[in-house]
Amino acid sequence: MSNVLLRAQDVHKTYLLGKVPLRVLRGVNVDVRAGELLAVTGASGCGKSTLLHILGALDLPDKGSVRYDGQDVFRMSAARRDGVRNREVGFVFQFYHLLPELNVLENVLMPQMVGMGVFAWSGRRRDARARAEDILTRVGLSERIFHRPNELSGGERQRVAIARAMMNEPRFLLADEPTGNLDAKMGQGILECLRSLNENGQTIVLVTHDPNIAAAADRRIQLVDGRIEA
Amino acid sequence: MYKLFLTLRYLRRKWIAVFAMLSVWLCVAMVLIVFSVMDGFLENIKQHSRGLLSDIIVDVGTLQGFPYYDDFTKYMHEQLPDVVESVSPVIYNYAILRVKTGRAENITKPVRVVGIDLAGYASVNTFHDSLYYDKYYPGTTTFAPAPMPIAGLKLPPGTPEMPATTNAFADSAEYALPDPYPQAFARFKADHPDDPIVKNPKRPSVHSPDGVGYFENNFGQPGYEGKPLPGLIVGMDVIYSRKEDGEYERAMVRGEEIVLTMLPMTRKGTLAEDPVPLAMRLADESRTRVYQIDEICVYADFKLIQHMLSMDALQRVDGTMTKPRATQLLVRIRDGLDARVAKARIEKLWEEFCMGVFYDIPPQKYRALTDAERAQLRRGAREGWLTTVDPEDAILMSAVGVETWEDRQRGFIDAVEKEKVLVTILFLIISVVAVVLIGVIFHMIVMQKTRDIGIIKSLGATRWGVASIFLSYGAAVGIVGGILGVVCGSIFVYYINDIQDLLAHLNPNLRVWSPEVYTFDRIPNEVKPMAALVVFVAAVGTSMLGAAWPAIKAARVWPVQALRYE
Repeated sequence: MSNVLLRAQDVHKTYLLGKVPLRVLRGVNVDVRAGELLAVTGASGCGKSTLLHILGALDLPDKGSVRYDGQDVFRMSAARRDGVRNREVGFVFQFYHLLPELNVLENVLMPQMVGMGVFAWSGRRRDARARAEDILTRVGLSERIFHRPNELSGGERQRVAIARAMMNEPRFLLADEPTGNLDAKMGQGILECLRSLNENGQTIVLVTHDPNIAAAADRRIQLVDGRIEA
Repeated sequence: MYKLFLTLRYLRRKWIAVFAMLSVWLCVAMVLIVFSVMDGFLENIKQHSRGLLSDIIVDVGTLQGFPYYDDFTKYMHEQLPDVVESVSPVIYNYAILRVKTGRAENITKPVRVVGIDLAGYASVNTFHDSLYYDKYYPGTTTFAPAPMPIAGLKLPPGTPEMPATTNAFADSAEYALPDPYPQAFARFKADHPDDPIVKNPKRPSVHSPDGVGYFENNFGQPGYEGKPLPGLIVGMDVIYSRKEDGEYERAMVRGEEIVLTMLPMTRKGTLAEDPVPLAMRLADESRTRVYQIDEICVYADFKLIQHMLSMDALQRVDGTMTKPRATQLLVRIRDGLDARVAKARIEKLWEEFCMGVFYDIPPQKYRALTDAERAQLRRGAREGWLTTVDPEDAILMSAVGVETWEDRQRGFIDAVEKEKVLVTILFLIISVVAVVLIGVIFHMIVMQKTRDIGIIKSLGATRWGVASIFLSYGAAVGIVGGILGVVCGSIFVYYINDIQDLLAHLNPNLRVWSPEVYTFDRIPNEVKPMAALVVFVAAVGTSMLGAAWPAIKAARVWPVQALRYE
């Protein structure tokens, strides 16, 4: 049990569709262990993304807890939770979610900028830039660092998103359908990229509805009707 | 770091912010222009009111004037040496002015005659600065009887040359010259082509003390024409009219004859005798820049006017003499002294003085009386049942009041102050439109940026961090718009008269500032740094206010809500 980084217990979430409540999660329990590549699978609309958002403290559950190293993130102050999210969680979204006004390098540097004040940043800017360039080289984008997101292909954008997620060396990386918006070849490239990170010790939680992608994971859990199917 | 970075980036990339900046810019310029002009207008009124009156005015408020003014002047100097700097008596009355010679011949005007002691008047207010000829020929303006000067005045070095607007001299004085002079002047012109006299051959006065200037005709002597007549200073707008370019259409030359017809008045206010015409010469022109004064006032020697209006000491049937009268005493107080304090002390002194005159009560004894006893004595004076002084004198003296220059102009100053506040509020209300516009623009920007907000929050940005991006954005819009507004508004105010002149040149109907309506002939064109600072700070504040609600709204959403925003 000591290697559990993240533990979600009895997580419930209900959305209102107009006046009709939609129970998306109905008491989900998940443990994420250090260094594993965990795939969360399930049909569309079964609550996979919602679970991932709650695991990353991007959304608030109606009930239940999410603990990082035993600390409930939803009992922390908002500012502390934001800090934890900045330092310990990296997100990769299906639709990349890059900032369109920023170039590739600036997008990748953004997590570091968020975590630092003006003075701290001026002291560490060079190191941060070197690290960002290193990560971008690793994901094969060293030639595109000054390009804006709209000048990149879908696969390249997703690799920028992965590079951004890795910038602060998070304890776990949460990827929501990272290949869902890409063709098979590009998807395979992204998957290899994630596998490579995982092999280097990065803990990854991957949401996908694609069985082939899920097959590459160390462990799989399946959500059915808001519950984890044994 | 990301706050500053994203604020600057959004400023560079979001052109919609330019519209917000533009509205701040225009509103700041608009409010600053309105405030500066109104404030300058008010300041001008205050400055001129004080300058043309004096600090304290002792006034009877009726044309007959009041007696014992000279005794009271001495008494003030004796009793209040720490208050009174200088005192000058003034007589106000009305007369008909007729121009007897020159291009304005036979023009008649109703005028307000102000009898002043020129030196004394200059010691209590700034009237002397308004004199036209005296500015160019210092020390030459006097009320002393003199003939008309006709030969050239040689100017001492350094004397400023009269502006081209006085060219009327060259036209109108030519006929007034004696025959030998034109030939002599032609010779002089040939010999001394660069002499100031050649450029300005009509010299305005003979009243020049040694060292200031002298006349030089072909005989080496001053040239005069006509009999000596007392001088009269005429308000610039009494006879002259202004042209479209703002300059005066001059029609008289210094020394030309004017007839002033006055109505002498008894102490009871009845006409003492038939109207008295008095031939005078134009000694100078006064331009106080307060149109209401310059269009009606003429100034003559105090003693002369006093005599002409039968306000000087006259012998009664019983052989006793009446007391000479004046309409006002203008008092200049010591520097740094509060006018209200001075007024209270002079008021008290006047009461003691009157009681001394009426009842022969020494000041110490009067001070010891109860309020009721004092009130009874005052009533006795007002109703004229006194024995130690002429009852008519007592009635006039009882009507005398003491005012500060601000009290005197209070109604007008208050009205302008209220007008200033009203107009500024009106323009501030218009500026609310700018705040709403900024709010709408920022709301649009935040709506457009909702997904970005979700991304930034998913990277760990705090609520305050997200809000501060948009607040900084609003502040930047306010700062840039505010600086541009202050700069443009200041430039506009500085050149406001030139702009008006240009518009009037294009079309005379575009002259918006009428001196007849607005008192001053030029639009005030000074921006106070403090006013500019206040408007600037308000602009930044309102811009941030406009951005605040969208910014707070953006900060409060959960990241996932913002990421899902379509």
